[in-house]
Amino acid sequence: MTIKTKSLTDGMEIEHTVGNVFADDPKMSMRNVDVFYNDKQAIKNVSIDLARNQVTALIGPSGCGKSTFLRCLNRMNDTIDICKIKGSLLLDGEDIYHKKMDPVLLRARVGMVFQKPNPFPKSIYDNVAYGPRIHGLAASKDDLDEIVVTSLQKAGLYKEVKDRLSSSGTGLSGGQQQRLCIARTIAVSPEIILMDEPASALDPIATAIIEELIDELKEKYTIAIVTHSMQQAARISQTTAYFHMGSLIEVGSTDHIFTNPSHQLTENYITGRFG
Amino acid sequence: MTNQLKTGQKALNMNDSSMHSNTDRIKKSLKKRNSKEKRFRLWGRLAISFGFLMVAILFADIGTKAYPAFFQHWIKVDIEFNRQWLSIEPSDSAVRPDMQALKQANYSATVKKSLYQMFPSITARGDKRDLMKLLSYSAEFKIEDLVTANPDLLGQRVSLWLLADDDVDSYFKSDFTAGQSSGRINDKQAMWLKQLFDSGAVEKRFNTLFFTNSDSREPELAGIRGALSGTILTMIIVLAISFPIGVSAALYLEEFAPKNRWTDMIEVNINNLAAVPSIVFGLLGLAVLINIFGLPRSASLVGGIVLSLMTLPTIIIASRASIKAVPNSIREAAIGLGASDMQVTLEHVLPMAMPGILTGTIIGLAQALGETAPLLMIGMVAFIVDVPTNFTDAATVMPVQIYLWADSPESAFLAKTSAAILVLLAFLLIMNFSATFLRSKFEKNGQ
Repeated sequence: MTIKTKSLTDGMEIEHTVGNVFADDPKMSMRNVDVFYNDKQAIKNVSIDLARNQVTALIGPSGCGKSTFLRCLNRMNDTIDICKIKGSLLLDGEDIYHKKMDPVLLRARVGMVFQKPNPFPKSIYDNVAYGPRIHGLAASKDDLDEIVVTSLQKAGLYKEVKDRLSSSGTGLSGGQQQRLCIARTIAVSPEIILMDEPASALDPIATAIIEELIDELKEKYTIAIVTHSMQQAARISQTTAYFHMGSLIEVGSTDHIFTNPSHQLTENYITGRFG
Repeated sequence: MTNQLKTGQKALNMNDSSMHSNTDRIKKSLKKRNSKEKRFRLWGRLAISFGFLMVAILFADIGTKAYPAFFQHWIKVDIEFNRQWLSIEPSDSAVRPDMQALKQANYSATVKKSLYQMFPSITARGDKRDLMKLLSYSAEFKIEDLVTANPDLLGQRVSLWLLADDDVDSYFKSDFTAGQSSGRINDKQAMWLKQLFDSGAVEKRFNTLFFTNSDSREPELAGIRGALSGTILTMIIVLAISFPIGVSAALYLEEFAPKNRWTDMIEVNINNLAAVPSIVFGLLGLAVLINIFGLPRSASLVGGIVLSLMTLPTIIIASRASIKAVPNSIREAAIGLGASDMQVTLEHVLPMAMPGILTGTIIGLAQALGETAPLLMIGMVAFIVDVPTNFTDAATVMPVQIYLWADSPESAFLAKTSAAILVLLAFLLIMNFSATFLRSKFEKNGQ
């Protein structure tokens, strides 16, 4: 069995990504991206566009590099000393790894929601208000109140917490915490939201709420989501990208990928033969 | 077909029996495991009770020894403010003497003669001297203060409570049989004291002087105030230097510094520094701070700097451990929102690490509080009578004061030593409680 998997993956040198990597109206375009941890190459020559106001799902087996790739999009990998990135990553035509691009500004424009809900050990209000406060987005206390309330509303959490905004964010349930993290990200009004398996630690009901939320959010934001669940990718995304061993195997419309994949590896993965 | 069935049944049976024996085996080992756990719990309880017992014995011992030091005996004496005894010129009662005359007056003679008046039967010189020994020599200063504050007292006769000498004090505190000599009190003195005691002229009062006076050669006048002030001043310096430097160093090393050979070397050296004997820091203080920089000797400033150097590694090590324990997800959350490194560190990492940092700081300060060795080298073991009021005044600290008193020959200092230890422990407890209070405050914020 192991031998078969090996022959499926290692033996095959992937030269080109199958499918259409070009979007009609790209918000971000990545070309020939390589990522190295010291000498180990984690991402191999990946090119892909994120279409404006669409949900792009990155799927693939564990360790395929999809999270690493996502974290390159707002330079979260900067904090890792041994991580080196090559290639061109453009946000609205601007190189995000250019010397003049300040990572602080970039991360305000490209927000991120993490796998494990990680609210600050502060009140619900302070959690959401933190981003606007550090960036000076609110002119007055009333402004800030409004930002907090609308962000919580957009994240679908306001009704549940409106009476206890001053209680601690860590006291919420897992699903509520994740929506709080989404509200916190929205409060900075980014252009793009990156989500790294946002529902993997949640139960099915909380997951359904988050998925519904993502569907609504794409009206205003461009979203890239890493997920382990193929059903989830099928439900919420318009474009799906399949990663394998650090390479981008196939990109296409979600319908196409799940009904009629062009690459053998993609088909093997979505039919559950490995992964 | 039947064969197959049989072997299948056999296998099933075997399986069943092996399962059965497994349960037995687990049951057997369970007994052993449970008794092991019980034994461990018993050991734990024994260890804790032993610790408590030792602490209780220590406190009971110190407490009973210190108890007498908190009380003092006073003797009521009828003092006559006689102009002749005071040798104030002119002796005419109509003329008010000026301040100069009052300052130069002979108060010791006044005390003596007033006392002789109370015991008219005493005539021999030696007896008179013994009589005078009943009172603390501070008596004359007390009446000087009274007269200079209120010259109208001249010519009057007033009953005053005066402090008894430490030997008299010890005599009353021991289980004395009235009129019998004991310790440094001879038969005659014992008789006089019995007279005084019977006439109600002896009173036991709470020893306020212990908390308001500085060190003294006379045990009845010696107090902890000077050493306490010295300790407070020194601790302020230690806290002001070692806390900000220690925490910044820890934050820089954990959050900003690249991980390479240099930072590894620094880490090893900080750990080594924590193990350096404290007297070495004293030598450094003497050689560098006093000899090169010319800072004053015996000053709490120098003591504070020396103790800070000793405390720094403890604070840095504890702070680093506590900063390391802050979950990375919090850093990522803040970075992901666009917080700068500085904001991540100060607004998220530091508050979450604060409880651990405070624990480390309190351990470091407690260490510094009890330290005498490095202070020997910079002259903070001197006999200092004045209460230090600023950082460059000559000062001593409580552990040094305890050492000095423990070394004194007068028996009354024995109780003072224990009392000073109690004050030191109280100071430590106050420090700990304030740290615990701050800690719980940060922890509450952190939830």
